[in-house]
Amino acid sequence: MKTILLVEDDKNQLLLYKQELLLEGYNIITAQDGQEAINKVKEHTPDLIVMDINMPKMSGIESMGRILSEHKKIPIIINTAYGSYKDDFMSWSADAYIIKSSDITELKDKIKELIGKI
Amino acid sequence: MLPQILKDKVDNVLYNVVDALDAGFSILDKDLNIVCANEKLSSILNLEYDPIGKTCREVYKCECKDNKYCSVFQALSSGKKQFCETQLITERGERRYIQNISTPLKDEKNGITHLLKLSIDVTAQEEKIHQLSLLRKLAELMQGTLQIDRLLHLILTCVTAGTALGFNRARLFLVDKERDIVYGKMAVGPSSLEEANRIWSEIAKKYEKLEDLIQASEDNYRDDTPLHMITRLMAYSLRDENEVIVSCVKNKKIIWERDAFHNPNIDKKFVNMIGANEFVCIPLIAKDETIGVICVDNLYSKKPIIEEHIQGLTTFANRAALAIENAAAYKILSEKVRQLEETQDRLIRSERLAVIGNMAAYVAHEIRNPLATIGGFARSILRASNQDDQIRQNAGIIVEEVSRLERILANIMDFSKPVESVKVASQINEILENICSLMDPYFKNGRIKLTKIFNSMIPKIIIDPTQIKQVFLNLIKNAVESMPGGGALTIETIVEDKHIKINITDTGEGMTAEIMQNIFVPFFTTKVDGTGVGLAVSHKIVDDHGGYIKVKSSLQEGTTFSIYLPI
Repeated sequence: MKTILLVEDDKNQLLLYKQELLLEGYNIITAQDGQEAINKVKEHTPDLIVMDINMPKMSGIESMGRILSEHKKIPIIINTAYGSYKDDFMSWSADAYIIKSSDITELKDKIKELIGKI
Repeated sequence: MLPQILKDKVDNVLYNVVDALDAGFSILDKDLNIVCANEKLSSILNLEYDPIGKTCREVYKCECKDNKYCSVFQALSSGKKQFCETQLITERGERRYIQNISTPLKDEKNGITHLLKLSIDVTAQEEKIHQLSLLRKLAELMQGTLQIDRLLHLILTCVTAGTALGFNRARLFLVDKERDIVYGKMAVGPSSLEEANRIWSEIAKKYEKLEDLIQASEDNYRDDTPLHMITRLMAYSLRDENEVIVSCVKNKKIIWERDAFHNPNIDKKFVNMIGANEFVCIPLIAKDETIGVICVDNLYSKKPIIEEHIQGLTTFANRAALAIENAAAYKILSEKVRQLEETQDRLIRSERLAVIGNMAAYVAHEIRNPLATIGGFARSILRASNQDDQIRQNAGIIVEEVSRLERILANIMDFSKPVESVKVASQINEILENICSLMDPYFKNGRIKLTKIFNSMIPKIIIDPTQIKQVFLNLIKNAVESMPGGGALTIETIVEDKHIKINITDTGEGMTAEIMQNIFVPFFTTKVDGTGVGLAVSHKIVDDHGGYIKVKSSLQEGTTFSIYLPI
């Protein structure tokens, strides 16, 4: 079973993604800020990370940078409400950039594309 | 034929003196018949007959109709010397001013028996006074004229007006410091002898007052006369001091050329352009700097230019220079004010846009997150619910509404996010063609008849094609939406005044003036589900391209949006 790390500071949103991706048959672990995400990666080494950007303590971009410096191969999807981070070249190292929407089909499709089902 | 009164007291010597007087001389009896007159009187009054035996009024052509105002009558009744001035027009059409002095002559018993009338030609003085008062009036007119072209024309009209300075032709040259040249700006005067004669006789008949003449000359002003056009071709480098006009500018002195055709020191080309053997160039000096030159001649009347005329012209030129300087300063000032106002307008608009943009961005992002959560859960409820459950229906409504809100948010965020534009040389016709084929099904659905009038000659221009496409899409969508029952849509491309103009015309509902005022204001909308950013975005995009949008609309008839993009 593939493990996905969800990094999201909004509790309700985190719950939504967790429920939806569990239904898709993934194993889900979560973190609520960038620092926690780094710790979780050390513990579990997930198959894929879905990363919010705008978070307290450490932003998703910074956190992604640190994770990638150690685990170059983990695919990362940026999932954010802001389109403007696309202009930040740091975000280019992510495997996908998705703008948050109530319809999470795009996110699911992207995950499938990157790591396949289960 | 000397009357008794003189015969008694004077001899032939006196008779000779009277004849030698540089004044008209006559003696009237009590019935005001002329009994004696010298030859000078006939020449002053331009008489073709012998005045002796004629009545006073007949000979002097008095204008006073009533005895009460007649100086001769007054002299008779009061017994005192009386002065009066009359004007007369000679056979040759010249105006003459005559001053008459009537002195009663008394016999031994102190009874008035005759009147002595002396007539002096004061035309020269009168003309000078007349000219001075005209110049004063001119100065007033000039002070009041701030439009520079009007002023320049006024100046030249005055230089050539017969009642003012009376030169045949006048040309005006202006100094352009930036280009380091002095160039022919304007010329006034007839182009041929026939025209000259016709104009002068017309003017003499029609216009008494300077104001009338100026008005008429302004109304009839033409800038396609040969004289004007030749003058416009004249331009000289300020470094070329051998040129007459340039040396006039540099030395700030009047150049009075009496025999240009035979003067080896004058450039023949210049003489040919001027075309007159005698001419005068007068510098226009304002604040110690020559701002231009007036060049005058009497090509048609061949009247020699005299010192006096030049003096008049000099006085006038000084005033004219100041007036030109004022008008030029005013022009610069008003241009600056206009620029300032425009900048202020833009600043206010962009400031407003920035504030709205920042706020919109903040609100949109804050709402987008919870909205995504709400919609996401609604979808999961929808999926989990049974086929025709009430819950399913309600969840479906939430999903739909959230989607609508998200679409609006996306629109607003498009508006607020600063876009990096990528500008490339693009063919507007191609972009439009592309959009039209893209929207073809949409037109058919809405029963829209599309007419394309594309000018195939329009050049490629540097634009961001994605952004400009967005503008066209917005405007075309608006046009179609304004014709819910179908209609005609016309898209036209035109080259106009260094811009490509794209007209998008519908036959829809049209707009009221009030709506028109607000259509570019962000978040203003008249549509039920509109966000009010479409036109604001379009406006901003066109603005960023250095272009502008114009709108014409009339209710029930339709609307035309014209987009101007600089070439």
